[in-house]
Amino acid sequence: MTTADTGPVTLTIPPEVAMVRVGRLTASSIASLAEMSVDDIDDIKIAVSEMITLLIQSGQRTAITLRFETSASTFTVEASTPSVAQNLGRNDIALATAVLDAVADDHEIAFTDDRLMMRIVKNITTAATASA
Amino acid sequence: MEEIGKNESIRVLIDTDGVVVAEGDIDLAGGPILDTALLRVENTEPTTIDLAAVEFIDSSGLRSLLAASRRAEERGTHVILRSPSAGVLRLLSITGTTDQFHVTGVAADGADR
Repeated sequence: MTTADTGPVTLTIPPEVAMVRVGRLTASSIASLAEMSVDDIDDIKIAVSEMITLLIQSGQRTAITLRFETSASTFTVEASTPSVAQNLGRNDIALATAVLDAVADDHEIAFTDDRLMMRIVKNITTAATASA
Repeated sequence: MEEIGKNESIRVLIDTDGVVVAEGDIDLAGGPILDTALLRVENTEPTTIDLAAVEFIDSSGLRSLLAASRRAEERGTHVILRSPSAGVLRLLSITGTTDQFHVTGVAADGADR
């Protein structure tokens, strides 16, 4: 099942560190419904964890809404929050970016109009497509 | 074993040999508890962290390990990562930080899905 059948899933979380795990496990569950491979689900969990961590660290203590959408070929997660870019150290962004480079097929981190916007895309590899 | 702290992500203990034992997820919530334990054992050289029961780690957790490595290097010693899971090893590899640690043993990977 993909969200092409059901519509996107949105999750709004308070900007608390405990919520990183909540977002990660939500992403994992949706990826599992889309029949993603075990390795891809592991990648999604890492990517979403990086995403929420940056949003919490740069944010202005407001709720964060994540939007999860799957199609036959991709898993996309988008989120944004009012932010203070100076809250993030250069090393924090560099390390997170290095991780996202490895675990996501595409990602975007953009500071615009005092907001931090993030988007990650993971191509879906199911057991069927992996063996094709 | 002395329990240093725990929350919804992680439980961290120090065993009788001064080894820091982490169980669960090392993320934004778990990192600070691990930091507390690592600072407690910095009179032990080298610093050993048992990661056999760590199911997940992200870059915020990795920063805790890297900070311990930097402090150890300043003392002229190093950090040993004992029995890291495949997930930990992968994160070290993709961030190019494996060389910052001495890695011993490899545990079966545990996933929290």
